[in-house]
Amino acid sequence: MKPMQLSILVAIVAIAALFAGCATVTPNELINARAAYEQASNSPGAPLVPAEIHKAHDALDSAEQSFAKDSDSYKTKDLAYVAERKAELAQALGVSAVDNAAKAKADADFAAKQAQIVTKTKSDLAATQSELSAALVALAAKEEARGIVITLSGGVLFETAKWDLLPSAQTKLDQVVAALLAGPKRNIIVEGNTDSQGSESYNQGLSERRAASVRDYLVAHGLPADRIQSMGKGKDNPIADNASPEGRANNRRVEIIIQPGAHASN
Amino acid sequence: MRHVSKFGILLFAAVIATAAIAAGCASAPLHTEGSTSGIRSAEVAGSATVPQATLHVQLAKEEVDAAKALDVKGQKAQAASMLSRAEADAELAVALAKGDTEKMEADKAMQRVRQLRQDNP
Repeated sequence: MKPMQLSILVAIVAIAALFAGCATVTPNELINARAAYEQASNSPGAPLVPAEIHKAHDALDSAEQSFAKDSDSYKTKDLAYVAERKAELAQALGVSAVDNAAKAKADADFAAKQAQIVTKTKSDLAATQSELSAALVALAAKEEARGIVITLSGGVLFETAKWDLLPSAQTKLDQVVAALLAGPKRNIIVEGNTDSQGSESYNQGLSERRAASVRDYLVAHGLPADRIQSMGKGKDNPIADNASPEGRANNRRVEIIIQPGAHASN
Repeated sequence: MRHVSKFGILLFAAVIATAAIAAGCASAPLHTEGSTSGIRSAEVAGSATVPQATLHVQLAKEEVDAAKALDVKGQKAQAASMLSRAEADAELAVALAKGDTEKMEADKAMQRVRQLRQDNP
């Protein structure tokens, strides 16, 4: 290579190097800010926080303007840094807005479901009460101060002087079980009663055993044992005159008392 | 006494006022309250339990220190500009800390309604 050519080449390289040195270099802060804004403005939460996206845009705009005037100044870098943070802030607030919207929807769904449950519960309760009322009417139940009383004739339930349940008793007791299971949970007392014939201790024992037989049947058919107690009243609580056979038949009975909202003691 | 024109008096007053303003600016203290209160807000919002928020609180603190150092060196404009970084980091830390709490509350609310639906199909 001739000296002349070499000189030209060196001159070209020097000029190119000079231009390369003077070329505008975008600071990393601004590159990051542009990317952050792009990400924030396309995030799912962006439509929910338009004001924050706008602020981020303004901040990026300020940084771009500063970059156009003085690309490498501290001011440009600081403005770009702030613009990146504003974009990240907008995105974070967008995520929060999405979360808050999800929470509001979940709360509304919860309230709606609760209302639906309350309505269904009321409806079920009304149906239950209706079924119970019908069942109690069928059993000729009476409402007294001690509760709702279902009276079952001793002749239907037991043979004379016995306490084992007759097969025919089951039909009647099954009706009682169905009514009690359909109704609200209440404590129940099963009371056995006799006529006046026989000694007091005999009648007391017989009434206790008969009440216990009925209680056992109810428990065996699904009623909670801890809510039912049995007791014998002997001949002390006649409801008819013991002088006549009809009166004595009426006095031989088992009463099932559904207590009003009390808890069983055993 | 030499006669002083009205224009001269006005010019003198303007020069004095400009000098006073320039002197005031030169000695104006660095206002770090915005940044430091932002940092405190982030800490109160629970930034310590959210790694990203913790990072931005740390950055904000470092930027406040850097701004103070620039201020001491007399680079007032750079110091004020650096403080704007600190304020931006602190503001972001607050949002991240609160956002974490809001996300947990949203998750809890959604779990609650899922459970209710599961228990009452």
